[in-house]
Amino acid sequence: MQWFVIFKKELLENWRNLKWIWVPIVFILFAVMDPITTYYLPKIMDAVGGVPEGSIIDLPMPNAQEAMMMSYGELGMLGVLLTVVIVMSTISGEIKSGVYEMILSKPVKFTNYVSAKFLSIMLIIIISLALAIGTAWYYVMILFGTIDFTRILMSLFFFTLYFALIVSIVIMVNTWIQSPGLVAFISLALIIIFNVLTNIYGHILTWSPALISDYIGEYLASGVLISELWYAALMAFVFSIVCLQFAIVTLRNRVLH
Amino acid sequence: MELLHANQLTKKYKENSVIQDVSFTLEHGRCVALLGPNGSGKTTTLRMLAGFIKPTEGTIAFNDESLSRDFRQHVGYLPQFPVFYDWMTGKEFLVYSGQLAHLSKSEARKRADELLELVNLKEVRKLRISKYSGGMKQRLGIAQALIHSPKLIILDEPASALDPIGRREVLNLMRELKKDSTILFSTHILNDAEEVSDEILLLNNGNVIEQGSMHELESVQNTVTLKLAFSDEPKFIEERLKEIESVFKVHRVQDDFLLTVHDLQTARKQLLEVVHNEDWQLTKFEVAKTSLEDLFMKAVKE
Repeated sequence: MQWFVIFKKELLENWRNLKWIWVPIVFILFAVMDPITTYYLPKIMDAVGGVPEGSIIDLPMPNAQEAMMMSYGELGMLGVLLTVVIVMSTISGEIKSGVYEMILSKPVKFTNYVSAKFLSIMLIIIISLALAIGTAWYYVMILFGTIDFTRILMSLFFFTLYFALIVSIVIMVNTWIQSPGLVAFISLALIIIFNVLTNIYGHILTWSPALISDYIGEYLASGVLISELWYAALMAFVFSIVCLQFAIVTLRNRVLH
Repeated sequence: MELLHANQLTKKYKENSVIQDVSFTLEHGRCVALLGPNGSGKTTTLRMLAGFIKPTEGTIAFNDESLSRDFRQHVGYLPQFPVFYDWMTGKEFLVYSGQLAHLSKSEARKRADELLELVNLKEVRKLRISKYSGGMKQRLGIAQALIHSPKLIILDEPASALDPIGRREVLNLMRELKKDSTILFSTHILNDAEEVSDEILLLNNGNVIEQGSMHELESVQNTVTLKLAFSDEPKFIEERLKEIESVFKVHRVQDDFLLTVHDLQTARKQLLEVVHNEDWQLTKFEVAKTSLEDLFMKAVKE
């Protein structure tokens, strides 16, 4: 009951500050940008000119799976960056402004507070990702060729779990520091360290959630769900829970000044 | 009847203790002022009683055992600088905080309407809080503290940051609330404390220095101040007054002479005798009440 009250308040807040409008739009832009520009690049170069007479430019046209992977690639970079920005002040901002003290004076359970915030953000992210991937899929189908709907749906599911981990990390960092800018910086640093470690020790860390988008690429091409993808998804899920639990414990022990 | 008892509360941040062995009892239906200079630990004490910071040592026990677990449910708290969600309307915020305190939506709405009426914000209930003035925010803050009908209302500096009109509104509101609830409020404005409180808790450097009703605190003080004035001032009056046995100190403020005496009875007798014998033209003879300010200054300096 209390959980739902906080959840609804978060949804209303995100509606009033228009996150429900601009986040999906920006995600869609990120997703369709690459496939479309790649497709039209030869035509754009023709129209703009400047290419020396007689030179032959042979741009290999990607296939449908590769084009779709471009969308995932952009969402994995810019989408993650945007997600960090959306989440950076969800708790730290409330602590900093002081409204947190007001909320805390009511019998609010930290578990409710953190998990309601998490799920309300995830709802925006899931819908934005679905719209973005859906739109990208539509253009890929028109411009490059067909991709199976189940492959899109499954890849979206795994991608969402990767984003759940990102959101959880930022929420955890939210409880450490009051400055939203610093929260974003530290969260990004953690995510980058995570990725770099995975790149260096990729042969050992085959379950790392940072590999999810690589595995999605393989899956889109082959249509075979490898067990590493499932394990990486499971890890993303487990780490999300751990980060959120950390956030709850940190808030519970937090000293108010 | 006793509502709660705080026993040897201590709060340490790292090694510094902000509060040291603070013990006191709150009675049902009283309005208690927590007085102290800035940095004396008022806010920390109130936050512990509001139930969202834990004392390092010591206990807070309600007379009713069932209240003692998460007593935030039974305490309404107004922070020193109330901040709201600016994008909400006044009523929305009240309903939200009511629901956080486990009221159903319809109960919260009903209660919010009553409180908006009480704190005189009915006209602006549909306005975004970002448009509220400081006084309106303070009153909204009081309303949110009352939303779940708490047994104890804790107000941290409810009137200190307001202009005279806002301050008056809040004090009137407190006088209204006092009729049927227990209030604990902190302030460093002595007039406010004197005006609305039944009882005073004096805090300095994290310790309780004095506790009691105004009347009790006065009687603890073993000196009384007399105020005298003369129409036609006799020569060497100050020296002459000092000569009187029971007068302990003489102090001149414009035309008034303030005499500090230990025993009112003998001092009055001796003084009037001298006045009569010397035929001084006495125009004022007043037994001045020990003001809270004297008390405060005295206690804090010690």
